[in-house]
Amino acid sequence: MENNIIMVRGLGFDYGDGWVFHKLNLDIAEGDFVAVIGANGAGKSTLLKMLAHAMPPTVGEIYYYGKPLEQFREWQKIGYVAQNPMKMQREFPISVEEVVALGLLQPGKLWHRYGHSEKRAVEKALLDFQLTSLRQRKIGELSGGQQQRVFLARAMVHSPKILLLDEPATGIDTASKVALYAMLKQINREQNVTIVMISHDLELAADAAKSALCIDHGICFRGDVHEALQHHHKHGYFYR
Amino acid sequence: MLEMLEMEFMQRAWLAGLIMAVICPLIGSFLVLRRQSLIGDGLGHIAFAGVAAGALWGASPVLSAAAATIVGALAIEKVRTKLSDAADMVLAIFFYSGMGLAVIFTGLNKDGGFNLGSILFGSLMMVSSKDLLIVAALGFCTVLFVVLFYRPLQYLTFDEKSAKVAGLPVERLNLLLALLTALTVALSMRIVGLLLVSAMMVIPVACALQTARSFRGTIMQSMLYGLVTVFFGLTISYYVNLAPGGTIVLTGTMFFLLSCLAGSKRKAKQPAPGHCHCHICEEEGQEHAS
Repeated sequence: MENNIIMVRGLGFDYGDGWVFHKLNLDIAEGDFVAVIGANGAGKSTLLKMLAHAMPPTVGEIYYYGKPLEQFREWQKIGYVAQNPMKMQREFPISVEEVVALGLLQPGKLWHRYGHSEKRAVEKALLDFQLTSLRQRKIGELSGGQQQRVFLARAMVHSPKILLLDEPATGIDTASKVALYAMLKQINREQNVTIVMISHDLELAADAAKSALCIDHGICFRGDVHEALQHHHKHGYFYR
Repeated sequence: MLEMLEMEFMQRAWLAGLIMAVICPLIGSFLVLRRQSLIGDGLGHIAFAGVAAGALWGASPVLSAAAATIVGALAIEKVRTKLSDAADMVLAIFFYSGMGLAVIFTGLNKDGGFNLGSILFGSLMMVSSKDLLIVAALGFCTVLFVVLFYRPLQYLTFDEKSAKVAGLPVERLNLLLALLTALTVALSMRIVGLLLVSAMMVIPVACALQTARSFRGTIMQSMLYGLVTVFFGLTISYYVNLAPGGTIVLTGTMFFLLSCLAGSKRKAKQPAPGHCHCHICEEEGQEHAS
């Protein structure tokens, strides 16, 4: 039996002008790499924000490791990268090293001073994501691909078990996208990190992901990522 | 210089000014970076309404201003989180409502009871030992708050959504920051005036933003700019016999222009955005694409 670490039951969200989706059920197993696909406005980001508890659902429950979201406290197990995190922050005075170190903050240890182990974790994340030479640079000065590596390093610095990524490849060039997907594949396969990633790059996602979830105001496909890609080539996005 | 410091009232003015020079940019750094530069002004207007109400009903102006700014700051914070897209508009409405209330309370008050000039511009040269004690206590609380909560504050200032996802108590931290901002505005009002408090929350931070390369650097540099601004502002005020509030603000503006020059020179020397100095790129003679 698969070990489902994320379970969604009867989830619904309404912005006030009708359901974005309703009665949505979903299971995600440990070690899975789910590519969330679908047309713009289909509800992908809404679903991910609810999974990341950035937005409360109108109805329904989300369970992490069998615990309802409101009782779940082990936030260090989850890493999150929002869509376009630097959209409004181009001139923000924060260095790459400072951004990565933010990922180590834990809710119960707000006053905790960073010691050797935290400094080592930051060094490792900078090294893993090839950011060591950029550590003192202001994040707004970096290219889109470099910025995404910084946000991934922040999400990974506390060694999470689950990564939630909202279109991590938005606004970056093809070469950087290929490198980013390869990096995510490596994280999933080598560190067994469960990844849920919204993506519009189906070809690249099909190589990195293990399964697909197509959203169109509800789940219209859940299964093998290559099958989803083939269907997309023939018919475009899935529609119920 | 020494002659200026021989007088007791000048010693108190210097101490109060230097404490304000540290705490205003310290709180202001978080406000400016959250695009809330005008919150000091908005709270200033609410404080003005509080003083006018206090004078009307015979309450202490400092206490009534503190009560009004605390209620105002908490209300602004609540509305900001509920209506984040319209935060600047909401702030402006609070701003005007505060002024409207102040005008009405002042009109209803036939006995006077407060000096408008001292509220707007302060009376740095009339700082009493009690005033100094209040500002010192406020300074201690502010520094302690920022030292204890530096990283959580840094996180929610840079990326509030991700801070919330990380499980940080974002709402409580925002309320604490709003509370401290309200107290800074209200308690400093009598000493440096509402105009100077908000100017000192913004101008030194604006200077630091031209030259700083990191978050920590921005905070440290803004406090340094604050100290230098107050030092020169007060010295000029004493020797040229001008109002200290005005000389401090204009000195800060002059430092802002100088820091813009320094910042543009520094930017001209920097590599283009996206250029990477990592060994891989340098060996291959390429740039990371932006």
